[in-house]
Amino acid sequence: MKHASKRGFLNATLIGAGFAVAATAAAAQTLTMGVRGGPESMDPHFSALGVHAAAAKHIFDTLVWSGTDLQIEPGLATSWEPIDEDTWEFKLREGVTFHDGSAFTAEDVKFSIERIPVVTGPTTTTIYVRRVAEVEIIDDHTIHIHTDGPASTLPNDFIRLFIVSSEAAADYSTPETAAEGFNSGAATVGTGPYKYVSWEPNGDLVLERFDDYWRGMGAWERVIRQEIPNDSSRLAALKAGQVDVINYVSSVDYLALQNDPDVDSVIGDSVYIMNLQLDQRDQTPKVYDNDGNVMAENPLQNPLVREAFDLAIDRDTMVEIVLEGLGQPANQLMPPGFFGSNEGIPGKTYDPERSRELLAEAGYPDGFEIDLFCTSDRLPGDGAICQGLGQMFTQVGIDTNVNAISRTVYFPAQAAQEYSVFMNGWGTLTGEASYTLGGLAHSNDPDLGLGAFNRVRYVNEDVDRLLQEGATTLDADARRAMYEEAMALIVADRAYIPVVQLQTVWAARAGAYTFEPRFDEDTLAFFIRPAN
Amino acid sequence: MRGFVIKRLLQAVVVMAAMSVIVFVGVYAIGNPVDIVIPPDATQAIRDEAIRRLGLDRPLWEQYWIFVSNAVQGDFGRSFVYNIPVLELIASRLPATLELVLISVISATVLGVALGVYAGYRPESRISKTIMALSVLGFSVPSFWVGLILILTFAVSLGWLPAGGRGDTVEILGIRWSFLTLDGLSHIALPAINLALFKLAMMIRLARAGTREIMLTDTIKFARAAGLSEATILRRHLLKMISIPIITVFGLELGSTLAFAVVTETIFSWPGVGKLIIDSIYVLDRPVMVAYLILIAALFVTINFTVDLVFALIDPRVRARRSA
Repeated sequence: MKHASKRGFLNATLIGAGFAVAATAAAAQTLTMGVRGGPESMDPHFSALGVHAAAAKHIFDTLVWSGTDLQIEPGLATSWEPIDEDTWEFKLREGVTFHDGSAFTAEDVKFSIERIPVVTGPTTTTIYVRRVAEVEIIDDHTIHIHTDGPASTLPNDFIRLFIVSSEAAADYSTPETAAEGFNSGAATVGTGPYKYVSWEPNGDLVLERFDDYWRGMGAWERVIRQEIPNDSSRLAALKAGQVDVINYVSSVDYLALQNDPDVDSVIGDSVYIMNLQLDQRDQTPKVYDNDGNVMAENPLQNPLVREAFDLAIDRDTMVEIVLEGLGQPANQLMPPGFFGSNEGIPGKTYDPERSRELLAEAGYPDGFEIDLFCTSDRLPGDGAICQGLGQMFTQVGIDTNVNAISRTVYFPAQAAQEYSVFMNGWGTLTGEASYTLGGLAHSNDPDLGLGAFNRVRYVNEDVDRLLQEGATTLDADARRAMYEEAMALIVADRAYIPVVQLQTVWAARAGAYTFEPRFDEDTLAFFIRPAN
Repeated sequence: MRGFVIKRLLQAVVVMAAMSVIVFVGVYAIGNPVDIVIPPDATQAIRDEAIRRLGLDRPLWEQYWIFVSNAVQGDFGRSFVYNIPVLELIASRLPATLELVLISVISATVLGVALGVYAGYRPESRISKTIMALSVLGFSVPSFWVGLILILTFAVSLGWLPAGGRGDTVEILGIRWSFLTLDGLSHIALPAINLALFKLAMMIRLARAGTREIMLTDTIKFARAAGLSEATILRRHLLKMISIPIITVFGLELGSTLAFAVVTETIFSWPGVGKLIIDSIYVLDRPVMVAYLILIAALFVTINFTVDLVFALIDPRVRARRSA
């Protein structure tokens, strides 16, 4: 497990080679990006939000880099390996300098890791270092990370662990001083491709190229990340020539862009998969008999009923009609190609006849009534998918009341387990299974720190065993096999029913730029190159 | 007059206190922000720590008490999301909203009253009929749609004006303003028009209705009989007499636009407070929501108070009633 995957490494080399050419071709240029969301602070350790990390990646680097397909590659660390049950050795890259000219050493890594629990905000970044017990500096370019027990996914935890300068940030590492020090730029010193110039909350982030960047010089002398949250306004800004590249083009606009010669669009697969979730408790609050009374026993515990739900979903229609083609039918909880995704799981079928039969076999020939809850403002198309599901369930005899609501209402209620049948997106942001299966499918166990998002109280002892073993198995191939097996079991149980995998669209002025979409949907200036 | 001021001030304090309780309890009822912001792979211990840090483990009354005792000293707490003091955050966004709103409300009022008085003075002329027809349009077309059409026309198709953002700013007294630069003005034009349309329509209707009514009164007849010129009558008598409803509406509109210019700010990516509050609601950033709503309550109280004072200055009848 020295280098994560061959494919990932190859990618990095190719991109690197492309850059050497691009950098000389277009030197004195500015790239203006219109993005939907931006950072919450210039302190990279304040928030674990995706948009926060995407902005931080311009200024700061991580030990472990996650490539476009989210598989891990060397970053500021050139290699890593477990040297005993609870110690990982990281070799650090030599010759890397910070924006202020000082050298990057093991001291900066130790400082950054120890700083996180002190300065983190509510979207806590302590998840990156939750397994770290102690950081030991061996020499300037070697560190040992001691963990609390075997931590097989430690390198994956580090993909958003940003390294700040231990000198520049020394005085700005308490909750009171961190925001001030970093927002003013005094402490915003990283090893990343761009130097900090200015930032306003919800406004523009202005950056300047760092010429001594270790990956090579970026293509743009100046980068401006403008926050434009409204989808239509962002597209208008692109069409008016105010910005060069935008992210998150809506599916409706995407259709219109097909006929627009001035705009290029790029489609990327997203890590987000919409999952239908069926409550497995003995008593469930939002399932009713045909007289409208809450049912005494929970029909969702019956595997026949769960299969009936699954067969009632017409995923192709969902993709073609509801998402305007911007998605893919999903058959498991993670996109294909991720660490732990199981290629042997067959595609889902749509069979409303069989679905009705199964309901009858299960003892519900006249169906029953459910309240279906979903988010409507979190991911593209979530509200529409919800309505689609409602119609499909109603067609097989499950009378469905659709509630597509704001995430601010949905998540607290979902956490309090007020729902019986509900759907929201889940993104495998780390690119590997322990994050997704450990959070969703392990039985809820605060002591083990597993199953925190198992809001349906799904319990399968074989799954629990596999996930616990996986978390402590350092051999990557053995671990992969365990997660693949667990995935197959979870999909067969159907307490979680994957519906569709989403896709995201970027747009840019036609013929001017090339870039590869990333699974985590980050829009990174360093990896956007001038065409030709 | 002094009694009137004191009574109004006491009322204001009561309104503010009631508002703070309603806002605090309302925001509390929406749910726990930690459920929205916590990362999916956080353990229970990490979650508990986050809750404790934000003080959300305390009972409601204790949270409220801490909030009130700090707020009285001018400290509204720190934003959950940005980790900077809430007042600083709001103050950094207020100038942007302020200049946008003042420009749009004032130009809507000046233009609206002029057009409205004309339409009321010559109700039968073709121009008046056109003005009234357009004002119906201003009322009935939703402003987000108008905003998008403005962007499509002037920014995307014609390329005359920018599609959004604030443009260049100049710093005066430590505050950044964009209406003093040419680039800033070009950025402010479209959102200001978008915001002004509805108000313009309303001002036209108000001024017209007032004019038609006043023109038939004895005051105007006597003024004409006294041989005053039409221009003098309009300026000295008519404008004064139609001004009471216009000032009331002006005050209310100023307040509500300042507080809720959300739609326009979002469409034009204008970095004002409206956008801030919407973003804060999405992530349940309680300190910002509470502080903002309470400041808005204070704003309305102040505006209403000012409007009452202005009445007293303009209208001798109001003054007489108050001092009696």
